[in-house]
Amino acid sequence: MGGKTQQVFTQRSKALDRLNQNRLIRNIRKHWMLYLMIVPGIVYYIIFKYIPLLGSVIAFQDFQIFKGFLDSPWVGLDNFKFLFNYQDFHEVLRNTALIALYQLLFQFPAPIILALLFNEIRLLVFKRTLQSLFYLPHFLSWVVVGGIVFELLAQEGIINALREMVGLAPILFMQEEAYFRTIVVISGIWKEVGWGTIIYLAAITAINPSLYEAAVIDGANRLKQTMYITLPLMLPTITVLFLLNIGNFLELGFDQIYNLLTPMTYSVGDIIETYVYRAGVLQGQYSLTTAIGLFQSVIGFALLWIFNRLARKSEQGLW
Amino acid sequence: MKQTLGEKCFQILNYAVLALLASTMIAPLLHLLAVSFSSPIAADSKKVFLIPVEFTFATWEHILQNEVLWRSFWITVFITVVGTLLSMLFTVLTAFPLSRKEFMLRKPIMLAIVITMIFNAPMIPFFLTVREVGLMDSIWALIIPGLISTFNMVIVRTFFMGIPDDLDDAARIDGCNEFRLLFQIYLQLSKPVLATIGLFYAVGYWNTFKTAVLFLRDPSLWPLQMRLRAFFTAEEELAAVDLIMGDFDFNTTTLKAATIIFATVPIVLVYPYLQKYFVKGAVLGSLKE
Repeated sequence: MGGKTQQVFTQRSKALDRLNQNRLIRNIRKHWMLYLMIVPGIVYYIIFKYIPLLGSVIAFQDFQIFKGFLDSPWVGLDNFKFLFNYQDFHEVLRNTALIALYQLLFQFPAPIILALLFNEIRLLVFKRTLQSLFYLPHFLSWVVVGGIVFELLAQEGIINALREMVGLAPILFMQEEAYFRTIVVISGIWKEVGWGTIIYLAAITAINPSLYEAAVIDGANRLKQTMYITLPLMLPTITVLFLLNIGNFLELGFDQIYNLLTPMTYSVGDIIETYVYRAGVLQGQYSLTTAIGLFQSVIGFALLWIFNRLARKSEQGLW
Repeated sequence: MKQTLGEKCFQILNYAVLALLASTMIAPLLHLLAVSFSSPIAADSKKVFLIPVEFTFATWEHILQNEVLWRSFWITVFITVVGTLLSMLFTVLTAFPLSRKEFMLRKPIMLAIVITMIFNAPMIPFFLTVREVGLMDSIWALIIPGLISTFNMVIVRTFFMGIPDDLDDAARIDGCNEFRLLFQIYLQLSKPVLATIGLFYAVGYWNTFKTAVLFLRDPSLWPLQMRLRAFFTAEEELAAVDLIMGDFDFNTTTLKAATIIFATVPIVLVYPYLQKYFVKGAVLGSLKE
């Protein structure tokens, strides 16, 4: 773009700004009730979303509670430097990344598979009953689900009762490191798999039935119809959900881990969020734990950006 | 349509596998229900599966007399009722202007709100902000910091945008102002979507845990989930009696099972009634813009 056009452009946009300002004032006068309505919402978002977001700057400070984040001394990247040389953080990061990876590998595809299986059920009553049962655990809290898991896997719990029946020795599942991550993934699937199918089932319903009819005429069986029609047409939905997931890659959910963790399993199960809670909220290391939180967000955003670029190559990105 | 043998086998297998998996969704709860009505000896000797063994009400009698549990129960009822109503009011008030074409700041405000979905504030600055606001050790800390769920707000906004414009014109001719338009026309037409987000909010408040962990140090304010957690981690608190003193017809195993059922029953009770609404909501709120 030439310099001249640029100039004209700027002048023009300034004039437009003024015009817009006048229009805005008139708009507010005319629809003042709408503006009044949204005030509580704006106040809410500023106080509880934007101020904490801006408050993340304490990751670059030596935050002192009585000085607030305006007067606390700046320390640059010191908190981050400290973190990367800190043994505890390595362990916590490794646990978080591993559990996140397992969840991505097993928990993410689970509702897709379940939705495809649901789709093969012709008996409508049966399908509805199944769905009701599968959706139920989503509505239970992690405290309750954690309680259930502990009870079922306890020494005198039902799982060990079943093991005993086939002559196996009881296992203290919740106290042993080897089982922790498996338990996290399975309990996560148990709680959310049904709920996760809703959106995929909606995507399947939206598929034009004439595609299947054409495929049947061409002699495609159910498996081929699934492979070549259902799955490809679910792909946009899968991609979007994958991207939304990857953006929160390291955010595993505090409630689940906190309610499954015992001191015996810290070495494999202590994740960023549980660590931040203990070191930050309970011990007051505010700046350091905010640095961890920020690091977590940056990784999430970077992953989202990378995978969105990849997805865009097949024209299915989020933006 | 003709089915091959393979397809028939798959069909049968599919029905069987799904039925089995579906039963694992409810079986743990039925098992714990059975445990809560069994004698402690039967429960601990692994005899109880889905039917109570040595049936007794002792566990439930003890649980239902636990005043601390009831206190937490009523706190949860309070935050569920008051929180859901406030949340719905705030959500609707925010969603309505954002659904109106004549509202000039619609796009920038919507963008600013969606950004908060992508960039979540880290836990600590959020914690410090809520503390600065003065909500530490107040049950309002369970309501106000999570007042509007952006997800739910987007559901309502999408629904409002789908209501035909002709209604507005008719209303305007009748001299209807925008508050009345929202409360007397739009909300009347939005009952299904309001039921959906009401359900989402209510379940969220009923299951409130993390905010209680963060903001409530005073145990007398704890909501139900927090109390359950305390019972699970400090079993003696749950029993609240000296178990060595005599023979009781309950122990921590049966008590824990009963408290889990206690916290779950209200959800299971409203579940079938509200089920018809939430599926629609889950799809609506997902990705539409």
